[in-house]
Amino acid sequence: MSQLLEVNDLRVHIDSPSGVVQAVRGVSFSLAPGEVLGIVGESGCGKSMLCRAIMRLLPRSARIAAGSVTADGKDITGLSEREMGRLRGSLFSMVFQDPMTALNPTVTVGRQIAEAVLVHNPRLPRAKVRARVLELMGLVGIREPEVRADQYPCQFSGGMRQRAVMAIALANNPKILLADEPTTALDVTIQAQILDLLRRIQQQLGTATVLVSHDLGVVARAADRVAIMYAGKIVEIGTAEEIYHDPRHPYTWGLLAALPALARGKDHLQAIPGMPPALIDPPPGDAFAWRNEYALDIDYQQEPPMFQISDTHFAATWLLDPRAPKITRGGGANG
Amino acid sequence: MTIQYLFKKALLFIGSVLLLSLLVFTISRLAPSDPLQSYYGEQVEKMTVEEKARARERLGLDASIPVQYLRWAGSALRGDFGLSYKYKQPVTAVISQRMGNTLILGGLGFVLTFVLALGLGTLCAWFEDRWPDRLICRVGTFSSCIPEFWLSLVLILVFSVTLRWLPTSGAYSIGKAGDLEDRAAHLVLPLTVVVLSHLWYYAYMVRNKLLEEVRSDYVLLLRAKGLPRGRILLGHCLRSILPSYLGLMAISVPHILGGTYIVETVFSYPGIGRLSYESARYADYNLLMVLCMMTGILVILCSILGQVLSEKIDPRIRAAQDTGEVAL
Repeated sequence: MSQLLEVNDLRVHIDSPSGVVQAVRGVSFSLAPGEVLGIVGESGCGKSMLCRAIMRLLPRSARIAAGSVTADGKDITGLSEREMGRLRGSLFSMVFQDPMTALNPTVTVGRQIAEAVLVHNPRLPRAKVRARVLELMGLVGIREPEVRADQYPCQFSGGMRQRAVMAIALANNPKILLADEPTTALDVTIQAQILDLLRRIQQQLGTATVLVSHDLGVVARAADRVAIMYAGKIVEIGTAEEIYHDPRHPYTWGLLAALPALARGKDHLQAIPGMPPALIDPPPGDAFAWRNEYALDIDYQQEPPMFQISDTHFAATWLLDPRAPKITRGGGANG
Repeated sequence: MTIQYLFKKALLFIGSVLLLSLLVFTISRLAPSDPLQSYYGEQVEKMTVEEKARARERLGLDASIPVQYLRWAGSALRGDFGLSYKYKQPVTAVISQRMGNTLILGGLGFVLTFVLALGLGTLCAWFEDRWPDRLICRVGTFSSCIPEFWLSLVLILVFSVTLRWLPTSGAYSIGKAGDLEDRAAHLVLPLTVVVLSHLWYYAYMVRNKLLEEVRSDYVLLLRAKGLPRGRILLGHCLRSILPSYLGLMAISVPHILGGTYIVETVFSYPGIGRLSYESARYADYNLLMVLCMMTGILVILCSILGQVLSEKIDPRIRAAQDTGEVAL
């Protein structure tokens, strides 16, 4: 098996006062060693829950209802919390959305990084830990690490804190890095720096990365393959090339059209009409049908399967069924 | 720590103390009781009106309240706090005899309450929503609703009267003032009441603060780097709440002290609390003033200390002071 991470029909349910929210509804994907997979979708489509389910860091009210996660050739779905603790940080680690709150404000940054090193190497001598901390801080581009290591998170800017979080995530050379919207909370200029850093480190260390974002532009900058998520499902997955140049799902068309860069010179920004459906009681058929101007009758009744377009490119829309009218992106029906 | 900062705190302190003395002085003198009663005891009933007036003049009680206050403040500033009407001794002498007893009871109660509260709160947070937590929460809520005087009486009834294990009252048996074992036996019940009646209040606060902390974002990162739960709870969450806990401890001194006073009264424990109660009841003005001022100064000092402590310990505030910028 050459895949480093395999997620198979993963379902995450969240108990809420008004019912069970199906946050992730049967997601399957795989990640090869050294690969960057971008996962794109609107807020609330289950991206974060997917990441947290893989690392089993779900909130108390959420649980994995079905499916399996195989990491490094081992099924980790049934592991105990203790066994998961051994894998977290060493096999896979995570970078979070908001660096302002991800660090403990009362502990120095250096100590928080050192802790990550020590968790999996408890016997490492003090001097070596310190050297490793400084090395990590250098790796993520924190200047003057000797000084910065003894400072508190409040003395770090947002971008610097995200670098520190990345240093923590990389402390034990994990094979898989889950980056959950790592740039969303940052200024645009810092966003680019962090993305480039992510890409550079990924190339340098060969860490397979899942990059979650709501921004196709962010993902375009770093990802080898891209998965588009909608209402708890992957609706289209393919290489970055395929997704950007030959998108097949109407939702992907909408996302691409909504990129502000493409609206240059136009009067208004393009938007996808409507709202994603509530996932407490998801509608039958294709969850996107109600917002899809090309929706077919069958979209309201039956969920579309994944249609294969190429070896790497799949999309779940009835438009790809041989019986469906031929519709191309932005074009409308022709034939 | 600039001079300006110290000056501000000092000004606040002096202002509060002045206001406190003025209030206590005025209110005690307006309260309906006769200081002559405590000075002369039963003889008062046989005194004529002229004799009473002369006695009042001698004790300086004939002047108006503002004049009396100025006289009192003048001699107090020179270190003379006057005589206790009831004990016919200098006030300072009366108090110093009992100070130690209260310090032992209150101090031990204070330390025990806060150490146990921290432990109990952490235990609850560890077992969040499982049966140990639920059980402790139920019992705690129940126990914190029991009034101190009632709890004291029930404990006396059970352990002193029925079981005869422990003495009912006092700080030591007659003639055994130096006997440590005897003193300890006398301390058990009052100390139990002081601790029990305050414990849950603080333990619950620790529990909730910890649970709030456990849900914060940084805990997710700690879990993501593989830190075991115990180390997250003790090494990070507990550490994060300690500054505010220390601040809380400082501010809570009056709370526990007040509890000690009630307990002292019920157990006839010869301490400052019972003395305060008696001095108020018998209109022993000079004694009352000093006791109130002592308690008040302690309270004010503690709250200032609490503020300074949390400023010193919390790195966010400290860092802001170091760099001269105003954070938060």
